[in-house]
Amino acid sequence: METGNRGKAIEIRNVVKEYAGHRALKGVSLEVGEGNVFGLLGPNGAGKTTLIRMLTGITAPDSGHIRFFGEPWNRSHIRSVGYLPEERGLYKSMRVGEQALYLARLRGLSREEAQRRLRMWFERLEVDGWWNREVADLSKGMAQKIQFIASVVHEPRLLILDEPLSGFDPINAQRIREAVLDIRKEWGATVLLSTHDMGSVEELCDEVALLNHGEVVLAGPVAQLREEARGGRIELRYRGNAIGFADALGASAQLISSRAAEDPSLQVAVVELAPGVALPEWIHRISGVVELYSVAPHATAMRDIFIRAVQTPQP
Amino acid sequence: MIGIIIRREYLTRVRRRAFLLGTLLGPVIVAAVMGVAIWAGVESEKPIKVMVVDRGGLVTHWDSVRQAWLPNCPDCFPERAGLDYRFSDQPMGEEDFLASDFGAMLEFDDGVLQHGKVLMYYDEVPSMTAQNRLQRDLSEAIERFRVKEESGLDYATYKRLKTDVALVGQDVVTRAGEANGRAAIGFAFSLLLFLQITMYGMQVMRGVVEEKSNRIVEVIISSVKPWEWMAGKVIGIGLVGLTQILGFILLGTAAVALGGNWLESSGALAPGGMMGLEDPAVGLDWQTWVASQSELSFLLDVNWGWMIVATVFFYVVGFGLYAALFAAVGASVEQESDAQYLLMPVMAPLTASYVLASMALQNPEGTLAVVGSMVPFTAPVMMLMRLPVGVPFWQLAVSGLGTLVMAWILLVLAGRIYRTGLLMYGKRPTLREMFRWLFYKG
Repeated sequence: METGNRGKAIEIRNVVKEYAGHRALKGVSLEVGEGNVFGLLGPNGAGKTTLIRMLTGITAPDSGHIRFFGEPWNRSHIRSVGYLPEERGLYKSMRVGEQALYLARLRGLSREEAQRRLRMWFERLEVDGWWNREVADLSKGMAQKIQFIASVVHEPRLLILDEPLSGFDPINAQRIREAVLDIRKEWGATVLLSTHDMGSVEELCDEVALLNHGEVVLAGPVAQLREEARGGRIELRYRGNAIGFADALGASAQLISSRAAEDPSLQVAVVELAPGVALPEWIHRISGVVELYSVAPHATAMRDIFIRAVQTPQP
Repeated sequence: MIGIIIRREYLTRVRRRAFLLGTLLGPVIVAAVMGVAIWAGVESEKPIKVMVVDRGGLVTHWDSVRQAWLPNCPDCFPERAGLDYRFSDQPMGEEDFLASDFGAMLEFDDGVLQHGKVLMYYDEVPSMTAQNRLQRDLSEAIERFRVKEESGLDYATYKRLKTDVALVGQDVVTRAGEANGRAAIGFAFSLLLFLQITMYGMQVMRGVVEEKSNRIVEVIISSVKPWEWMAGKVIGIGLVGLTQILGFILLGTAAVALGGNWLESSGALAPGGMMGLEDPAVGLDWQTWVASQSELSFLLDVNWGWMIVATVFFYVVGFGLYAALFAAVGASVEQESDAQYLLMPVMAPLTASYVLASMALQNPEGTLAVVGSMVPFTAPVMMLMRLPVGVPFWQLAVSGLGTLVMAWILLVLAGRIYRTGLLMYGKRPTLREMFRWLFYKG
């Protein structure tokens, strides 16, 4: 995955927002690289939706600054934003095509242009037979596709997706993931993805920021965060006696976890080498005890990083 | 952007079959009910044979040639379709009467000259039309008798001397004539305005509630400003109501023209026709006929063009004023059932304006009517009631401008409640909270 160095799509500086005595954002600062897929993570009530609403012009910060592709944020920028909110719906009594056309026109497209692009997107996401059907007839997944189309049809520079995959079956979820990556390639869109689905974060995101209680508690490129979380841990797959393996470690390494692999003849162990232990010699020694199958850096799942960051008490 | 919203709000409603049916069938149903009533009145007019028992020989004499009692004044008892007179000096017994083909028996003696009362026996009550004719015929016959007996004048001279004065209203401010009938016309327009504002105001509220419960709100307010959205919705739905009003006016005009022509061609306006015209003019056109009827001539005094312009104007400002309130209520709740307690303060002045208009109908230039027609919340409905009676220009200006300004203020304030309310889910706001929303920053 590429980490954009081209410029900043969004720069948020010390943004504060208060609602009736409750501080939703307590001086949030973060940057989103242009052309990146940026994961905005955090538990419920962390302030993600408030932040997103600022970028869509629904609400404004009490203090702090937001820059949008280098310019101070103003309302005219919402034309360049596509937004798929978590709370989303459609007018039930309208026809699907008519509805998509309405939403596209509200995004500033002419009728003809909107129609042309919508036809293309309907075909692409395989909903082309639904143009003249009533919205009420759509399944949840179908409706989600229409909403997704409505958020990208005007080719926004910034696409904000709030839980875009909830309600999709695995096949359609994959299709949407691919569409997100395609959009980035096609017109260089920057994508802000807010989700609890860590699988999507690992697959799609270049960078993430983790919000908790209205503050950024963790931010950076995904690869770097996972590398940092990894520490010195390595993952081994071996054939042999698990007890013999544990004994052989001695003081040279600490066994973090051990389990049977998908192939039951193999074991998977995660170990952390003691300081000063050189990996090549260590491997050489262990391979005398068990039959080593593979050795790899242990990648920490985003899920674990998330939980660890949220559960760590903040100063 | 607003144009796109107006277009959607307008088209999705106007295209509905219910709208077309409501616009077409509303007046058709009213016309049909009236038509049926007239038709039933005409059809139920059964021919009736009447026995006039003149015990004192005041208006009849014995004709020995024809061997029958005949009227002294044959013109007083003209031959008419459906009314057949026979005369006698002796009443029939009850059983004979019931067995006979007489529908009514009128009995009187000299006493009628003092007390003016004539007994009418019947087995089924004669229709009002028949009763009116009997009354008229007999009155004239007895009047002739009295004129001859008591004054010695001939009847034609008496008729010329006889004087009935009529009060003809003339408003010195507006130079307009008779008021009561025209106030009733005004009231019909008031009622129409009240119904349209209520119906389409509720649609604004329902539309917003639907958008909130649909969760489409956030998608749309990330594209347009909340006030633009609200304005688009109010204008779009307002235009639907206006389209319907114009449809009613168009249909009404067509119905009057067609109905008038039908009356002309059916001969109902001819003497002795259904409308009971006594005037000798034959082949009247219907406008002239209306003008000749003292109960209906006010219809021609109403400035219909002005009424239509005023209806459109007061609908626009009145709808704007109330739609703002309905929109604010809609944005503050999640379901229509939650809206009830907030609807009270909105519906109260609207309903009051209708009730006050109906009360002021008796006295369209009284204080109640004048004040009510200038207070913005009641002005649209009440002013329309007063308008055909004649309203001084300054009052009209105060009423129109006042409502316009109030509508503008309320739309601005409602826009603020709308902006905050739209994204509020979960808790039902109190009026105090909604008041606080007025001062929230964006």
